[in-house]
Amino acid sequence: MNSRSLPTFIKVGAAAIALIAPVFLPDFLLFEVCIALSYSIAVLGLNLLMGFAGQICLAQGALFGFGAYVTAYLNAEFGLSPYWTLPAAAVLTAAAGLAVGLPALRLQGLQLAIITFGIAAAFPQALLKFDWLTGGVSGLPIDSLETPAPFAGRPELWLYLVTVACAGVAVLLVSLVLFGDTGRTLRAQRDNAQIAEALGVNLTKVRLWAFGISSALAGLGGGVFAILNGFISPQSFLAAVSINIVIASIVGGTTTITGAFIGGLFIVFVPTWTSDINLALGNVIYGLALIGVMMISGNGVVGLVKKLVCGMLQTTSGNVPSLKSIQGRKQWIALRK
Amino acid sequence: MTLLDVRGLSASYGKVQALFDCSFSVGDGEFVALLGANGAGKTTMLRALSGIARSSGTISFDGQRLDARPPEERLRLGIAHVPQGRGTFAEFTVDENLSLGAITLSDAAQVRRDKERWYQTFPRLRERRNRLAGNLSGGEQQMLAVARALMSRPKLLMCDEPSLGLAPAITAEIFEIFKDLHKRHRMTLLVVEQNADLTLQFADTAFVIETGHIVATSPAHEMLHNQDIQKSYLGV
Amino acid sequence: MSLFFQLVVSGLASGAIYAALAIALVLIFRATSIVNFGQGEMATFSAYCTWQMINWGVPVWLSLLICLAASFIVGIIVFRSFIQPLIGAPIEAMVVVTLGLFVLFQAVTMWIWGADQRAFPSIFPDGGIAIGGVQVRISALGTLLALAIAALSIGLVFRFTRLGLSMRASAYDRTKSMLVGIKVQRMLMLGWGLAAVIGMIAAVLIAPRLLLSPTMMTPILFYGLAAATLGGWDSPFGAVVGGLLVGVAESLGGSYLPMVGAELRIVVPIALTLIILLVKPVGLFGSYKVTKL
Repeated sequence: MNSRSLPTFIKVGAAAIALIAPVFLPDFLLFEVCIALSYSIAVLGLNLLMGFAGQICLAQGALFGFGAYVTAYLNAEFGLSPYWTLPAAAVLTAAAGLAVGLPALRLQGLQLAIITFGIAAAFPQALLKFDWLTGGVSGLPIDSLETPAPFAGRPELWLYLVTVACAGVAVLLVSLVLFGDTGRTLRAQRDNAQIAEALGVNLTKVRLWAFGISSALAGLGGGVFAILNGFISPQSFLAAVSINIVIASIVGGTTTITGAFIGGLFIVFVPTWTSDINLALGNVIYGLALIGVMMISGNGVVGLVKKLVCGMLQTTSGNVPSLKSIQGRKQWIALRK
Repeated sequence: MTLLDVRGLSASYGKVQALFDCSFSVGDGEFVALLGANGAGKTTMLRALSGIARSSGTISFDGQRLDARPPEERLRLGIAHVPQGRGTFAEFTVDENLSLGAITLSDAAQVRRDKERWYQTFPRLRERRNRLAGNLSGGEQQMLAVARALMSRPKLLMCDEPSLGLAPAITAEIFEIFKDLHKRHRMTLLVVEQNADLTLQFADTAFVIETGHIVATSPAHEMLHNQDIQKSYLGV
Repeated sequence: MSLFFQLVVSGLASGAIYAALAIALVLIFRATSIVNFGQGEMATFSAYCTWQMINWGVPVWLSLLICLAASFIVGIIVFRSFIQPLIGAPIEAMVVVTLGLFVLFQAVTMWIWGADQRAFPSIFPDGGIAIGGVQVRISALGTLLALAIAALSIGLVFRFTRLGLSMRASAYDRTKSMLVGIKVQRMLMLGWGLAAVIGMIAAVLIAPRLLLSPTMMTPILFYGLAAATLGGWDSPFGAVVGGLLVGVAESLGGSYLPMVGAELRIVVPIALTLIILLVKPVGLFGSYKVTKL
C-alpha cells in the first residue's frame, strides 16, 4: 500500500509465484489457496478500514457472510449466473456496511470494536431466525461455474483464475483509493481527527467511504467463498470468522496490500500445519504462533520480513546505512560501487 | 558535605541525545538552581536523576551509587521529584495524593503525623483534603505536588519549573515555602527554572545548562549580577 | 406481572455473571489498556481445574480456594510471559496476543479434558424460595450474593488500603506512580492476577447452568465486553451496573419482543449498548479519556 512497505522484488516474486502456483500445486491445495484468497479480499477491505481509516471493525466476517448469502440467494432464487452475483454481492454488502458504519461514526475505537463484535456474534443467529430467506440450518446451494472449454479438463484451474481476478480487482480498487487524495485524507484523519477536520476534511464522508469500500470487498470475498464452496450454511460464518479476519489483517500488517494476502494464507494454512505437527496440540501451537509472531514483530509478518531483509542488507554491506533516509540511500549506492 | 554527586552523566530521548557528560555536585542542605532555556536539558536532568529517563554515567547520592537503581529505590533512598506540570494524581483526592507520596513508608502513625505537619504548612490543602486534585487551582496543585513529594521524607527535593503557568504572587508564595524548607528544615533543594531572576534570589548555587552541557556554575548572588551569563544563556 | 419479575430476577442472575467477567476485563483495561479477549477462556480453564479437583474427591470449598489461588498465579504468569514484554507495542499487536490467549487456553483445555460437556456441581443448594409471589431460585440469589461480595471487597481494597491505592495509581499514570515509589510492574501484574481470580468466579458460577465445556465462556465474553462498554471501560462500578443491565435487558427482550425471540436475544444488549454509547460515548460511568483501541 505504500512503496516503503516491502522491496519491489519480493512483491514481483509473490505475483510470479501466484501465477505459476497452479502448475505445481495439487488440486486440493489449489482449492485451499483459493479459500485463502477469498478471505484475503475481505482482509484487504479491513486493512483499508483499520490500517488507514483507523477504525476497528470486528464484523468483517458477518459482512463476508452477507456477501456469500447474497450470492447464494440470487443464484438459488432467481437463477442468476454466479458471475453476475458477485458485483451484486459487493454492492449490497457495501449498503449493509454503510448501515453499520453510520452509527459507528459516533463511536470511538474500542466501542466500535465491541459493537461490531456483537454484530458478528448475532449474524449466525439471524441466519437461523430468518430461515425462510436463508434456508436455516440446511443452508443454500450455489451452481458451479460454467467452465470455458479450454479449462474443461481442470475446472479447479478456472476457479483459481476467477479468484485471482477478483483479488486483482480488489487490489486495484484499494490502490486507487490509497494513492489518490482519499488515501492522504484517510491517513490524516486517522492520525489526528480534530486537526484533519480543521483542515477541511469531511470526516463523515471519508469514514463512510472507508466503511463502504471495506464492506464491498468483504461482500466480494464472501461471494467468491460461496462460489468456491458450492454450498453455504450459518456454520461457515460464526463470530470466529470475523476474529480470524482481524487476526489475518494484523498478522499480515494492517497497512500493506501484500500483508492482506499473507494474512489470508496464514489463517488458512497455519492452523492446518500446526495440526499436522500434532493433532491434539494443533491449536495450542497455533495460539503460541500467533502470540510469538506479534512478540517478535509488533508490525506483523510484513514487518518481520522487512526487518529480516533490512538486516540481511546491512550485514552484507558491513556498514549500517539506513535505506530510509536519502543520505543513507546515497551511502548505500556508493557502497555497491 | 556532598549529598549528590554526578559524574559524566549523559542521557537521550530516543535518538536525540539531551545531556552530554554533565558533572556537578550538590552539598547537603544546599539550595541549587538549575537554569537554562527551553529544551536545554533541564527536565531530562531531573528525569535522569530520579531514574525515569535512561542515562549513563555515575550518580552518587548520600554515599550510595544510584545509576543502576530503579526509580522507586531512589525515592526510598531520599530523592523526591516533583515533575513539570504539577504531577498530581488528578482523579485522586488531596488526601489520597498525600498518602501516595508516602506509599513507600509502612509506619501508618508516622504517615499520619507527617500529613498533619504538611497540612499545617499548607493550610489551604487541609481545607480541600477531600476534593479531587484535578479540581484545585494551579497554585494549589503545585503546593499539593510539593507536599506529596515531602511525604516521602526526602533528603533531596527536586522541583521542575514550579512557576510554570502560575501567577507571580503564587510563584512567590511557593518560593517562600522553599525558603522555609531550606532554612528551617535544612532541606536540600534542586529547582529547575526558566524564571532565573526569581530563583537566583533564593538559591545558594546555580548551574546553567545549555544544549545538554553544563556551561556555568557559580554562587547564586554572583550570577544574579553577572551580566555576561545573564545575557548569553538566560536571555535577560 | 409475576412473569416480569421472574424475568428480571433471572436476568439479574445472568447479569451478575456478566458483571463479574466485565470487572475482570475492566481491571485489566485500567491497568494495561488492553482488552483481554482471552479472559473468558482463562476462566474456563480455571473452572476445569476446579472440576478436576472435585472429581478427585477434594472437598468443593477447598478445591475452589486452591483453584482461585492457582488462577491468580496463572494470571501473573500470562502477564509476565506474554504481556509485559509487549508493553509499549502497537495496540494491534496486543489485540492479536490476547486473541492468541483465547486460542491457546481453549486449546489447552480441549487437549487436557476433551470436548465433552461435564456436569459441574452447584455450590448453592437446589430449590427456590418465594418472595412476594415470585419464585426465586436459591442459586440465582447466591450468584448475586457472590457478585456483591466480590465487587464490594474489590471496592474496599481499592478505596481503603495502601495496596489498592497503589494499584489505582499505577492504572492512572505509570510515570507519576514510579515517581512516588510504586513498583508499577508489580501492580500491573497483581491486576492481571486479580482479574483471573474474578474471571474464575464468573466461570464457576455459570458452569452448573451451562455445563462445563471448553467453549462455555465464549458467548459470555461478548456480554462481558458489552457490560464493560456500557458501564465505561475505566469503571469497575460501571462494569457491575453494565452487567446487570445487560442481563436484565437480554432476559426481558428475549421474552417480550416477538421479533427478537430467544434466538436473537443477543441483539438486545447490542442495541442497548449502542443507544447508550450514542447518548454518552464513554459509557455510563466512564471518564472522558480518549479510548483508541
